Amino acid sequence: MKRRFGNKNRVWLGIVLLMIFLISIPFFATDYWITLLTLILIFTVYAAGWNLFSGLTGYTNFGLAWFIGSGGYVSSLLIADYNFFWLFAWPIGALFTSIVSIGVGYILLRIKGVYFAISMVALTEGTRELFGTEYLTPITHGGKGVPFIAGIKLPTLYWAILVLAFLTLMICYRIFSSKYGLRLLAIREDEQAAETLGIHTTRDKILAFVLSAFMVGLAGAIHFTYQNYIDPSFAFSIHLTLTPIVMTLFGGVGTVFGPVIGATLFTFIHEILWAELTLLYMAIFGGILMVLILFFPQGLLGWMKERGILPRIRKI
Amino acid sequence: MPKDPILRIEDVVKKFGEVVALDHCSFAIEPGTITGLIGPNGAGKTTLFNLITGVLQPDQGHIYLKGEEITGKRPYEIARKGVGRTYQIIRIFPKMTLFENLIVVGKGTGKKVTERAMELLDLVKLSDKKDDYASDLSFGQQKLLSLAQVLMLDAELIVLDEPAAGINPTLQNDLMTLIHQLNRAGKTFIIVEHDMNVIMGHCQNAIALNYGQKIAEGSCDAIQKDESLLEHYFGR
Repeated sequence: MKRRFGNKNRVWLGIVLLMIFLISIPFFATDYWITLLTLILIFTVYAAGWNLFSGLTGYTNFGLAWFIGSGGYVSSLLIADYNFFWLFAWPIGALFTSIVSIGVGYILLRIKGVYFAISMVALTEGTRELFGTEYLTPITHGGKGVPFIAGIKLPTLYWAILVLAFLTLMICYRIFSSKYGLRLLAIREDEQAAETLGIHTTRDKILAFVLSAFMVGLAGAIHFTYQNYIDPSFAFSIHLTLTPIVMTLFGGVGTVFGPVIGATLFTFIHEILWAELTLLYMAIFGGILMVLILFFPQGLLGWMKERGILPRIRKI
Repeated sequence: MPKDPILRIEDVVKKFGEVVALDHCSFAIEPGTITGLIGPNGAGKTTLFNLITGVLQPDQGHIYLKGEEITGKRPYEIARKGVGRTYQIIRIFPKMTLFENLIVVGKGTGKKVTERAMELLDLVKLSDKKDDYASDLSFGQQKLLSLAQVLMLDAELIVLDEPAAGINPTLQNDLMTLIHQLNRAGKTFIIVEHDMNVIMGHCQNAIALNYGQKIAEGSCDAIQKDESLLEHYFGR
């Protein structure tokens, strides 16, 4: 009997072919392309991690750099000062971030809206200042930062972040199409109504916050291993918080693949403008962002859903 | 042995600063009844609903559900124990489809939950709109959806805050028919409603509040003849 090759199988075949292509890139591409793709993948994980929590619950996390910096610092210090193998240092950095974020979430997720956003900014700024002070210098090396060599080659690092980005998107896909994902959406829509309908909002929010912290912390650990250097002013910078948020807005908040599309387009546009119009690129880039946010407030995927180009119902 | 009331409010006090919203209020609701909660604006009706569902905590007094104390419990715990509510201002999840609005509330996952959601959408005559966003519904349809959400929760005690307000007579009739149908199936209702025709025509009992105090309680027939209530309500 002839079996139909359904849409689902076609999608999976497409994903497998894309993964084979992405895995094979280090065998034929130059270091420039591998580096560019590594950065796209790092920012994809940042954006997807932000989207998992903020896109679904509506709690705008303006402290993403706190996850990135914490994961990055713990793993970098383990590699630099304790000679940890990078493969062990990375998950320890991510675990540390997620464990601390349980406490942070328990305290800060009681406050809503702009107050939560500001408190996360304050936490990140406070940590940045603290890590640079002389009091913590024996541990953090202070404001001068930590240079280190992890002994990992660029293709290996690229494959590692590729695996992490793939797993992050798979986890996001599973959550977005699950009842847990719907509960997070219900929190975004009306938290009090959700709670009076039997949803344990505190537990669900903290779980999403911790998951987001783990993914982003792990990507942060890889990011600073790639840079061979970490310092508080970059690790906890507002730039590392805002860029993934803009990328998510670009692709589509609350969608699984919005962050990937956003991170890819954003990085390419940024790269092209920087190469061609070095002096004006920031002004033009800012203009493009404003136009996109004005005309595509739902992001590219949101816009396509609104117009029926993509189905707007979620698969549960 | 007499059966425990499904809900018992015991000497409940709730203050907002100097304002006493509920003042030593006590009453009991028998299972399988429809009780109307009446009173002028500011009488404490919605505050009482908020206390029953755990949205607010009383300053004094106790609340029992089927004999078990629920005072101080979180709203999700009370909901899981079998208390469902709708709000005066509808609070559904607007950017979720009708189907998702129900699925998210149902216990467990799988075929059983999806079948129950479809059953309830059929019951409120909205199954043809299951993939529409809830924000696309009319006001009356949104009220029906919020009732379906409560039913999805499988609540035994359902508290409805002005269910008939702002909807057309046909839909109002459908809604009240549905409430009676559910009541016959064993659900207990407490209804806050300003339209006295709804209360007198559909409730077996009524409780009247004024300035946070219970001023009358009894069958709807008796309440209609209560002199002190008429005095408070109509100034005679």
